[in-house]
Amino acid sequence: MIDQRIYEMFREIGQSLYTHTMISSHGGNLSIRLGDRVVIKRRGAMLGCLKPHDLIETRLDKNDSGVALASTELLVHRTVYLNTPALAICHCHPRTAIAYSLSRDEIVPIDNEASYLLKKVPVIYEEFASGTPQMANKVAEVLKNYKCIMLRGHGSFSTGQTLDEAFFWSSTLEEACQIMLFTKQVGEPFIEYRKNSENYGKF
Amino acid sequence: MNGWNGRILEIDLTTQTHKSYPLDMEMAKQFIGGRGLGVRLLWDMVGPEVDPLSPENVLIFTNGPLTATGYQTSNRFSVSTKSPLTGTVLDANSGGYWGMQFKKTGFDVLIVRGKAQKPIWIEIKNSEITFHDASELWGMRVFELTEKLGQDNNKRNVLCIGPAGENLSRLAAIMNDRERAMARGGPGAVMGSKNLKAIVVEGTERPEIMDQERFKFLLYETRKLLAASPLTSQALPEFGTIMLMNIMNNVGALATRNHQQTQFEGAEAISGETLSETYLVKNAACWACPIGCTRISKTEKVEGEGPEFESAWAFGAQCGIDDLAAIIEANSLCNDLGLDTISAGSTIACAMELSEKGYLDSDLRFGQADALARCVEDMAYRRDLGAELTEGSLRLATKYGHPELSMTAKGMEMPAYDPRGLQGQGLLYATSNRGGCHMRGNMIGLEVLGLPKLIDRFQVQGKSSFVILNQNSNAAIDSLVVCKFTNMGVADEYFARILGAVTGVQYDTGDLVKTGERVWNLERLYNNREGFTSKDDSLPPRLLTEAPTDGPSKGWVSQLEPMLKEYYRSRGWDQNGVPTPKKLAELGLENLVDPSRTLEKIA
Repeated sequence: MIDQRIYEMFREIGQSLYTHTMISSHGGNLSIRLGDRVVIKRRGAMLGCLKPHDLIETRLDKNDSGVALASTELLVHRTVYLNTPALAICHCHPRTAIAYSLSRDEIVPIDNEASYLLKKVPVIYEEFASGTPQMANKVAEVLKNYKCIMLRGHGSFSTGQTLDEAFFWSSTLEEACQIMLFTKQVGEPFIEYRKNSENYGKF
Repeated sequence: MNGWNGRILEIDLTTQTHKSYPLDMEMAKQFIGGRGLGVRLLWDMVGPEVDPLSPENVLIFTNGPLTATGYQTSNRFSVSTKSPLTGTVLDANSGGYWGMQFKKTGFDVLIVRGKAQKPIWIEIKNSEITFHDASELWGMRVFELTEKLGQDNNKRNVLCIGPAGENLSRLAAIMNDRERAMARGGPGAVMGSKNLKAIVVEGTERPEIMDQERFKFLLYETRKLLAASPLTSQALPEFGTIMLMNIMNNVGALATRNHQQTQFEGAEAISGETLSETYLVKNAACWACPIGCTRISKTEKVEGEGPEFESAWAFGAQCGIDDLAAIIEANSLCNDLGLDTISAGSTIACAMELSEKGYLDSDLRFGQADALARCVEDMAYRRDLGAELTEGSLRLATKYGHPELSMTAKGMEMPAYDPRGLQGQGLLYATSNRGGCHMRGNMIGLEVLGLPKLIDRFQVQGKSSFVILNQNSNAAIDSLVVCKFTNMGVADEYFARILGAVTGVQYDTGDLVKTGERVWNLERLYNNREGFTSKDDSLPPRLLTEAPTDGPSKGWVSQLEPMLKEYYRSRGWDQNGVPTPKKLAELGLENLVDPSRTLEKIA
């Protein structure tokens, strides 16, 4: 039985993802790690209006009947938990960040907050994107060193101790990408204001 | 060699000889330094047959690969030993200057064995080791001794014990740089049992850094993050750790009168805000620290460092005392006599409750500010009731037939945070390897301060995951060794990167936390070997059965049992709290367990 407090946390973050247009009606997923178990969104459920029965609890290290109901991205979530200290994962589809991921191998923000917090966000790619072991391993490997990463043309994966924190990293990324886009639209020369910013790409 | 010096200094006090030998670098990569390296060495050297106050116990002083590099707060060092208070594995760490200076002597580790026939002190000037007669210094208090031995912050640093350590108080601290303390668990008594009064260090070697350019970049970025965090750039510099007094009181988690209540009506009078307006002279900082949380306070009787939040709480709310001057003076006396303020204050509070309830024949009562200084003095010199207080609250309460009135976990007095209003903190106390301690994992960050984000402090399900991650992360930070306050502005990923830049050994965040997990499990194995079992992962009955009758934590007791069950499973331990062979293999610890002994026998 999943604690009411945990459900409310999922519901609030899920709703925020939808209202901030970080997902489509049925896109994205959220999970938390409870020791040797994972609580993850049900496959096909709408993150924007989760019900208590939309949360599935399943084992971390092997399958049980929960996998029949869990999100298709369960494998990625499990692999990340097994290879990093993450306790929460947010996967969403931030539109501006997706647009930028189509043309570069890393996103280096230019705004102040994301420069502080993210430095850079790697963009990764696999032929078979969603839910495959190859992609799961690649995502987990890169998330060992970064809080937030982009899957080219697909979306972001971010981790934290809480869902709140994981959402924060993806949200920060999307905001950074929007600012990059607006800056391009403004079209005026960029004035560098960050000391050592040339090192962000090597972070 | 980058980061590490690669050398261990071992001193035998019985024979007054010393030797140095290379640090096992594979061991160093696995355990990093500080607390991690300390417990790994202790595991081999001090078994269950050793009495903590016998010559066979050892003191292992360790620094880490970041120490003295100039990275923010890279001043800290650690001591590992078997605790005379709890009988568990013990590490205590301290800031100031001594750790930095010790690293500059060219050693990573100092192991002190045996027992001198008469009091001595040791001087280490790079590789030159000198034993000095300390007969005339025996009995001297910490402040006078520190000055006499030539304390000079950036050049020559003094570590010593006061009368409490000499008199084998189980609450005795090892002091350094006058008023910094390695206090918890009684390491000062171990030093006293060896007739070792002081260790003075002078060094001129600077640790080498593998990637200077990357180091400087990360140093700069860390400075920016610490400056951007209101905790590290405003709250701690302005108010010090005592800023927590009003915060904890407001959430109903400030243990009061020996944990009989969770809010103290006199909290405001002993808060950081009041201290700033009354007795605060200035703030100060340890070496290479941009935060500067140290308070320098002055009353009519004393002037010096402190009080920290825990000290102000122990002599304040826990004893029902709202006289800030009396608290500052008791804190200063503890520093001068070499006593742990948390255990001293909480043991006095226990005696107050025993007395009020008629179990102990003494005039001690809650709220008696004038009793503090007398009790502290008597504890250090083992005079009158002080001879019993100085054994700690569990031995005291047990002697008078009421062990349930000792607010301890594994025999160590718990700090200020009442676990009834902080479920995760309760689990943290119960499972802490050195006993009731708030420095083994920072649940206050998550449950109160919102670091990195606020979680529900009353939530039970899933709490063990947060506790475990924080315990592992803290064990890693204690092994680097840096100050945990940096973690309020800088995430673990920065520590991993800076460690890589300094040593050339690449760690990712997961590696770093895994190192912490390795340290935690080895400490657990150590305690299992000493005879500790799951029964010792507990809290005083009061916290499990007596709910506060008012305030924000009204109606709550610690829900320890379900959290503990989840904790063992999540740790990969069996139901008896013993690490499984699978977990040990995962952490590379399987070879440390004697093949002739099964894990069940260890438990």
